[in-house]
Amino acid sequence: MAIAVPYLGHGVGLRPVHFPRLWDGTAAVDWFEAIAENFMVAGGRPLAALDRARGQAPLALHGVSLSIGSTDPLDEAYLRRLRGLAARVEPAWLSDHLCWSGVGGHYAHDLLPLPFTEEALRHVVGRVVAVQERLGRQILLENVSSYLTFAHSTLAEWEFLGAVAEQADCGILLDVNNVHVSAVNHGFAAERYLAGLPSDRVAQIHLAGHTDMGAYLFDTHDGPVIDPVWDLYRVALQRFGRVSTLVEWDDHIPELDVVCAEADQARAVEAEVLGAVHAATA
Amino acid sequence: MLPLRDLQLRFFGAVSRGGPIDAGLRAVVREHGTLGAAARIEIYADMYRARLVDVLREDFPRVCALLGDETFAAVAERYLARHPSRQPSVRHLGHRFAGHLAVENLPHPFLADLAHLEWARVEVFDAPDPEPLRLADLAAIAPADWPALTLRPIAACRIVSSAWPVHEIWATAGDGDARRAWPAVPTRIRVWREEWSVSHAAMGAIEAAAFGVLQRGVPFAEICAAAEAGREPDAAAREVGALLMRWLEDGLLARRQAP
Repeated sequence: MAIAVPYLGHGVGLRPVHFPRLWDGTAAVDWFEAIAENFMVAGGRPLAALDRARGQAPLALHGVSLSIGSTDPLDEAYLRRLRGLAARVEPAWLSDHLCWSGVGGHYAHDLLPLPFTEEALRHVVGRVVAVQERLGRQILLENVSSYLTFAHSTLAEWEFLGAVAEQADCGILLDVNNVHVSAVNHGFAAERYLAGLPSDRVAQIHLAGHTDMGAYLFDTHDGPVIDPVWDLYRVALQRFGRVSTLVEWDDHIPELDVVCAEADQARAVEAEVLGAVHAATA
Repeated sequence: MLPLRDLQLRFFGAVSRGGPIDAGLRAVVREHGTLGAAARIEIYADMYRARLVDVLREDFPRVCALLGDETFAAVAERYLARHPSRQPSVRHLGHRFAGHLAVENLPHPFLADLAHLEWARVEVFDAPDPEPLRLADLAAIAPADWPALTLRPIAACRIVSSAWPVHEIWATAGDGDARRAWPAVPTRIRVWREEWSVSHAAMGAIEAAAFGVLQRGVPFAEICAAAEAGREPDAAAREVGALLMRWLEDGLLARRQAP
């Protein structure tokens, strides 16, 4: 069974700095992506803003704290709150990251790397199945940028991600920037990563900027998408077809017009690539 | 090869505690290019400190302004070492920060209380939405029912007690004057949210006593008794009436549940 989510076009992240422009009705947005944990609260302006955004456009929830790869027990209270939030806003889909964020009852609030071993694969698959049962829906898992790999990994990252998706019957949120960052940091071919993923599992794409630290690339989400990432997006579109796409900004967030212009650029790239694909097929 | 659990415990320890990285962990990290295993783990350790100190800086901007960035970061790192996050949402990271400041040897004695005030504002920001009592609700109550009437504050309300006027320090924390030696003044501050706006205000002695009783959810007659405190009954009644109007205007009282 493949992942079943709608195609929504080119969305923008729901950020408080953009609320005035979003509420005055002058910005056209295909869909919003909201960081789930920012809205897992009892009340106040955040929840009111989420409800308002949901009234304007479809919305996806993107979590950062599921910690699907952790060897701690699943956080049942967190899952109940997440399920409650999903019931409130009825997101088009719900995503988090293929990583772990804490262990021993403590949280790093970061996306920490997993070893790509059979042991980790069994562990993550079991937890995704359990999470999907608790939430009553399929989830998407996103590949993270990483700065190290483990010597005892027996699978390539794309093999691991694809196997999790197939065996746990979940979807993939493909972060094209993260593929580029990790490819440079670990010396693999980014195109090989895309070619190794099951094409019917990719349900959303992220694009973002990063920072070149000299010895490595750092995933900062605080600048524009660079040309090699746009090129890789073209390859992804050729392989996976039309997939809902979002350009992520987490820091130094620019004006909404700039964010929307990047969404339009992604839209134009999609038209350029898929138009070419269709012409070649005809 | 390390089992997954063992790997995660060692990795988290290296990232959150800093310091030398154990050889067993270094041995399982692949080296590539110019970066060795320790340097790669250190990237995560740096991110951990930077991200979480930033979160605390955002939640306690006035404490940070008074301490200065560098000292604040050092204090925040000691806090993280003593109180690593135990909640999946980073929103709760600072809930013990004020208590931690109380045991730090800091240049200003009021900083812990200032942090209490800043944290109360954070808590109230996303507390359950208030459904405030309005004047019209009270007008519908028969005079005979007033003594037994039970009033309660809204959930988006906190009280901060301090030996210093931390509301004044809060207001001036951005300028150099706030670093002066403030005289000790026992202060009670109410922090609340009206719709989406978080406010705080210092309370006089009578209001503080009456609000303390109000928080316990007791009948109105007991609130009046608390305000009376040896004064003429008429003066106390006028005082309570004025307080009630102020609380209603500020949206501090919760609408009563229908019986």
